[in-house]
Amino acid sequence: MRKAEIGVALFLMLIGFLVLADAIRLGFGWGMSGPKAGFFPFYMALGIVICGSIVLFKGIQKLKQEGPGKRLIPEGGVKPVLWVLLPSTFMVILTELVGLHMAALLFLVFYMRVIGKINWVKVIPVSVIVPLTIYTLFEKIFLIPLPSGLFGDKLMPF
Amino acid sequence: MGFGVAFQPINLLIAVIGLGLGIIVGVLPGLGGANGVAILIPVTLVLSPTAGIILLSGVYWGALYGGGITSILFNIPGEPWSVATTFDGYPMAKGGRPGKALVLSFLSHGTGGMLGCILLTFFAPPIAAFALRFGPAETFSVMVLTFSAFVGLGGKSAMKTLISIFLGFILAAVGLDIVSGQLRMTFGSVNLMGGFNFIVAVIGLFGLGEIFLTVEEGLRMEGFKATVGLRDIVDGIKEIRQNLKVLTMGCIIGCWMGLKPGGATPASFMAYGFAKQAAKNKDEFGKGASAGIIAPESAAQGAGTSATLPMITLGIPGSPTMAVIMGGLMIFGLQPGPMLFKDHADFVWGLIASIWIGTILGFIMVLMFAPLFAAVLRIRFSILMPVIIYVCAIGAYAVNNRVIDIYYMIIFGIVGYFFKKLDYPIAPMVLALVLGDLAESAMRQALIMGQGNPLILFRPPIALPLMIAAILIFFWPTISSWKQKLSAKKGTKT
Repeated sequence: MRKAEIGVALFLMLIGFLVLADAIRLGFGWGMSGPKAGFFPFYMALGIVICGSIVLFKGIQKLKQEGPGKRLIPEGGVKPVLWVLLPSTFMVILTELVGLHMAALLFLVFYMRVIGKINWVKVIPVSVIVPLTIYTLFEKIFLIPLPSGLFGDKLMPF
Repeated sequence: MGFGVAFQPINLLIAVIGLGLGIIVGVLPGLGGANGVAILIPVTLVLSPTAGIILLSGVYWGALYGGGITSILFNIPGEPWSVATTFDGYPMAKGGRPGKALVLSFLSHGTGGMLGCILLTFFAPPIAAFALRFGPAETFSVMVLTFSAFVGLGGKSAMKTLISIFLGFILAAVGLDIVSGQLRMTFGSVNLMGGFNFIVAVIGLFGLGEIFLTVEEGLRMEGFKATVGLRDIVDGIKEIRQNLKVLTMGCIIGCWMGLKPGGATPASFMAYGFAKQAAKNKDEFGKGASAGIIAPESAAQGAGTSATLPMITLGIPGSPTMAVIMGGLMIFGLQPGPMLFKDHADFVWGLIASIWIGTILGFIMVLMFAPLFAAVLRIRFSILMPVIIYVCAIGAYAVNNRVIDIYYMIIFGIVGYFFKKLDYPIAPMVLALVLGDLAESAMRQALIMGQGNPLILFRPPIALPLMIAAILIFFWPTISSWKQKLSAKKGTKT
């Protein structure tokens, strides 16, 4: 836990430095008619760097005094999280190819079958009906376009 | 006059439909009040202006009510302003009293909404006149006050809260800077040019982040079965009577904040923060204190209702959703502002009357709908979870029609996951993301007016007391520990 604290604090400070760099590029002083574009981000980033270093410092102190502390992610916790994260990310990537609804259909099938180990009898109807309903609702009734990907239009010509 | 219009059967029906949709929309993470309204604007084009606006307002109101439902049952805020409700609503549900939590939420909403309606009806002209005097320095000082409340009253490490706030502001600044026309923090990426939208951030941080957390603990995501039973209603009313001060405070803060372009979100947090500070049993907060639900919910509804005021009277939307509704009005050819009262008085009063009805009707509807949501919880997690992610993805995409937003949603989910684990508060970051542009432009304008002198931000008569209050609240933990030490000393003397 403590190492994670330090890691995250460092990461945030890194973001702070990146923003500082850009703010300096944009200029953070007084421009022709008011604060320059970099003014606000500069001070915000400065704030992150300062506060981040305090958190970092405290984290290092605690690490020295009390040791590494509890595990950040409890035993057996990493796998379930990855099992949610990776398929979801994959679904989004798929979306760019075949559109959201097809990707969601495959995602639902995958999750229900592989992780939930649910019977095919339940899996197929749900994975077909849910995207179909949402598709009808959004595309036809609400008239909101949702991504159909590169090939989606050919797969679902209606 | 207005009630005559509002009570026409067809308009009542539309109000009910709008409310129903709004509650559903408010419950679903990702669709949101602003989105839901925007989505329905094309639908309203086939209706008459009055009917169309009643529908949109119904959605808006329903969303305000609905946001509380998922906050309590699922710990996923359906709306940014229902975030504060998760702090105590979900623990209360966990502790076995979800029905009571729901009743408290609805009663608070109803009361907040009523108070907002009263304000709206009677105070439209004078309040509009006052808000006109708010210059950029005053707007900025209100923001400073809100964020100080987070740092001083939030209960989490001040450093981490500040980091959250700064990060939120930076995220808000990514993209095109309107004033100077320059691209900020895009590092050459076309995708970053569009910046980050707070809806996407909220879906990721709260929706996905919460899913990650729940899955990690190996729990199936169990929302809570909640039937609103008679006992819950009785208990709920009892608690409200015990907490009248909190309720009033929440309503007032809400109605006050709704008037400014801050909206329901900061109102709910401020109310929560103040309620916690003023409470005798602070430790109960975060574990299911009734006041912890009453405060933010009444503030949120109060703000949501009073946000209509500046929109109607000044043409300034008091909240993002109001901005969308204003867009709808303009499509109908009705220009919101002082002229609206003069030229289309019957429309305005019809709208106000329908807001009254919406508040009351909405309350009845949520009381009846709550058991329906209990039924949703019986669906198995492995089915529910991917569907929720699917809907979240839709929500993220629907904001700006960009697939990159769905990726951002996932990234925000990871951020939310780690932030929660390491005790970084997420709410101030979201708030900073939402208000970032507004806060920055207010500060810029103020500084330009003061010609670079930062003291302009402290000018009387309005900005100065607000800033002083902000500083006090910011250092409150230090001050209150001094007070404790002082009284301890006195104790040992006698």
